[in-house]
Amino acid sequence: MTDSTELVTRDDAGLPAAGAIDELAHVGDPYPVEEHAHPGPRQYVLIAVVLVILTGIEVAASYLDGHINSNVLILILASMASIKFVLVAAWYMHMKMDAPLFRRLFTGGILLACFVYGILMLFFASTVLQS
Amino acid sequence: MTQAVVTSGSSELVPSPGHLGSGHDTNTGVSNAKLGIWLFISSEALFFGAFISTYFLYRGRDTQFLKGPTPDKLLNIPFTSVTSFILLMSSLTMVLALAAIQRGDHRRLRIWLLATCIFGATFVGGQVYEFTEFYRHGLHLGTNMFGTTFFVLTGLHGAHVTMGIIWLLLVWGRSMQGRLPSEKSEAVEIAGLYWHFVDIVWIFIFTAIYLIPTH
Repeated sequence: MTDSTELVTRDDAGLPAAGAIDELAHVGDPYPVEEHAHPGPRQYVLIAVVLVILTGIEVAASYLDGHINSNVLILILASMASIKFVLVAAWYMHMKMDAPLFRRLFTGGILLACFVYGILMLFFASTVLQS
Repeated sequence: MTQAVVTSGSSELVPSPGHLGSGHDTNTGVSNAKLGIWLFISSEALFFGAFISTYFLYRGRDTQFLKGPTPDKLLNIPFTSVTSFILLMSSLTMVLALAAIQRGDHRRLRIWLLATCIFGATFVGGQVYEFTEFYRHGLHLGTNMFGTTFFVLTGLHGAHVTMGIIWLLLVWGRSMQGRLPSEKSEAVEIAGLYWHFVDIVWIFIFTAIYLIPTH
């Protein structure tokens, strides 16, 4: 701490100027903390209703197999699952309200998993499983 | 007149604004326990990603040496839809438990925690029933690639749900003993984060195994 250097706006007396701390809110701080209040029970129930409706649509859509193009069906199902994922993560896990560091950690893990296993699947599908 | 100057040394330091009002005296300004569970959840995304991608890789690729029953003859979508609904509802009761302790309502905290455990146990019970049915129809871990990938993926998820139930029961026990004041609501929040993650994983497993057509 003693060796660190900071850019500080100061007045003539050499004291930090009014609002200097606010100005520096995002300077040199890799983890800005912006936590907001969590939602109330009513919002949680509302999200649950949406989740149930989406699940119902998903299950109903799965019975359309053979009636619509299977790629379209897969796209619909994957979209529904992704929306449910975002709803649970954003509202129930409070990613929407909690410190951005948590959001970065989680999305980092998800993106890393998609990248690693995407490459793995492409490699396996094109080489190992063909042989 | 104000001026911008570069200063150094401890006597000139202005406290990092990122730490002001965060309530956590840590380097990151956030709770270490929450940071730990988010790191764990992030690593779990990679863990389950491995098994989900393996399931997709071998899906329908072992037709030349396929033996035993096939997925379309075994999977019971209505039954699994009900158990999925139950797991979704357990996420609601979990978050209601957290809301209860945050407003100091310990009676409701215990009710919602217990409800979450019951929903979770019902889900695991449904999985045990499904596994038993599949086994009776001749699908074992080594029958075919579907059997292997299905039992490993859903079995590991079931093990995570079981661990979650044990964790929530421990939190419930602490609350019953009066050792969980409202100031320690983070203990419920962290258990809840794990529980919601397990729910999220099931959202994808349910879609991947049960709903996406196999042909």
